[in-house]
Amino acid sequence: MKKIVLLFLSFLMISCGSNEPQPIKLNVDSCEFCKMTISNGKFGAELLTKKGRYYKFDDLSCMLLYAKENTNVQVQSFFVNDYAKDNTLIPAEQSFYLRGGALNSPMRGNFAAFASDKEQDNFQKQLDAKTLTWQQVFTLY
Amino acid sequence: MKKISFIVFLLFFSIGKATTIKVGANLPVKKIKQALALANDGDTILVHSGIYKEGTILINKKIYFIGKNFPVLDGQHKKEVVSINANDVVVKGFKVINSGHAALNDPCGIRVYDKNNVIIQGNILDNNFFGIYLQNSTNCIVKNNVIKAYGKAEQLIGNGIHCWKSNNLQIIGNKITGHRDGIYFEFVTQSVIWRNIANNNIRYGLHFMFSNDDAYITNVFKNNGAGVAVMFTKNVKMFNNYFEENWGDSAYGLLLKEISDSYIFNNRFARNTSGIYMEGTSRIKVEKNSFESNGWGMKIQASCMENEIVNNNFLKNTFDISTNGSLVLNTFNSNFWDKYEGYDLDKDGMGDVPYHPLSLFAVLTENTPSAMLLYRSFMITLLDKSEKVLPSITPDNFVDNKPLMKSLPL
Repeated sequence: MKKIVLLFLSFLMISCGSNEPQPIKLNVDSCEFCKMTISNGKFGAELLTKKGRYYKFDDLSCMLLYAKENTNVQVQSFFVNDYAKDNTLIPAEQSFYLRGGALNSPMRGNFAAFASDKEQDNFQKQLDAKTLTWQQVFTLY
Repeated sequence: MKKISFIVFLLFFSIGKATTIKVGANLPVKKIKQALALANDGDTILVHSGIYKEGTILINKKIYFIGKNFPVLDGQHKKEVVSINANDVVVKGFKVINSGHAALNDPCGIRVYDKNNVIIQGNILDNNFFGIYLQNSTNCIVKNNVIKAYGKAEQLIGNGIHCWKSNNLQIIGNKITGHRDGIYFEFVTQSVIWRNIANNNIRYGLHFMFSNDDAYITNVFKNNGAGVAVMFTKNVKMFNNYFEENWGDSAYGLLLKEISDSYIFNNRFARNTSGIYMEGTSRIKVEKNSFESNGWGMKIQASCMENEIVNNNFLKNTFDISTNGSLVLNTFNSNFWDKYEGYDLDKDGMGDVPYHPLSLFAVLTENTPSAMLLYRSFMITLLDKSEKVLPSITPDNFVDNKPLMKSLPL
């Protein structure tokens, strides 16, 4: 019985629209804010609205500027590219950030996001960049 | 004996004011690095044909580095191939291949580090991550190089000619294929891009970011992923260029974003999804251009103001103009529109009835792209006609008061 309920629930979850990111198609999708074609899978970002629509961005700074400018867009969740991987989106709120140093992002936001603080530490030395939390990143714009 | 001859040899080079050191498999100096160690400022290193796999060739003296019959400098997919770290260097006639790939420090075919008066001329660059990279450089010339890479959409690749924080550059007569952006300018001022051909690059043929006071003249940008982008820039002159066959949802012949005080003159936009897309642009003059067989001739977003669109030809476009708002702060004057159906009774060459280039359907599809399905249906044609007579949805000041009766000879 439990299993059936679980199955039913999972179906319900899927049909209601998930909270999963939609992969960015490199060199095909364009940035909602700056209109540039997204070509670097290390700096991209994605916004999911409450209505289930995805907006894609080539730079975290573009997403934040877009979110602040378009207050009528109700945000369900933010996603960012994991810098340590190739074109993999991870939830933005739980990520660890670096900014500046040797980072060179398409629109000069120069943010790198990581899934763990360990990776953040490793790259911090390599990139000579400043560590940030999501709260700090979000209040920058 | 051998030792003495070598010393004499060395002496010869240190006394002579400007000498030529020849490098080749059958010559005393077999390696380029050896020749570089021997050379003094002002010397010429003449490299004979052959394959040289010497890692990064660092030029830190003022020399003429000349290749004869295109000697191959092979980076073996590991490192940067040629690094120039001196003023007044000339690199000419080499075939530079296989630089390292996708590393943090952006390995290049040929890179100039913070230097002046460097000339990179007549080289072939093949399969490098970045082709030619100028950083913090002044008065440099990049001329007649053929730059080719084999980038694919899902893979990271650098730009053909990448210029960063530089000024007074001349980029002339290069051919660039298969890179991310053909030519990329970031914080580059007072520079000219002339007679280049950029085709089949993955993203843009030419890409400007934060680069003021530049000109690009007589270039061909064909079949690139998304055309040409000029962004966050002012005072750019764009003359006599061809923007062709840039197809795709986010592809434009020319994408203008946050740009002001520029002049677009005598260009040809043919067979693009959108000829020009403008957003946040102001004080731009678009004069004597030809827009032919595009999906949209021009897409002018409501955020644009004080732009002048004068004396252009709009031929065979699905939509000549489209916009996303009702605010019109741009002027149209004396253009030729092949969709114009007015008359000219006083025979002054200008139509007597103003022309509204914005069709109702262009406005509808801007808001609801899927409405495109109904294009050329009877109802839409009827609506379009009635809208022409009594504008209700389209802004009525979106108008060319003096439409030309004949197309301009451009």
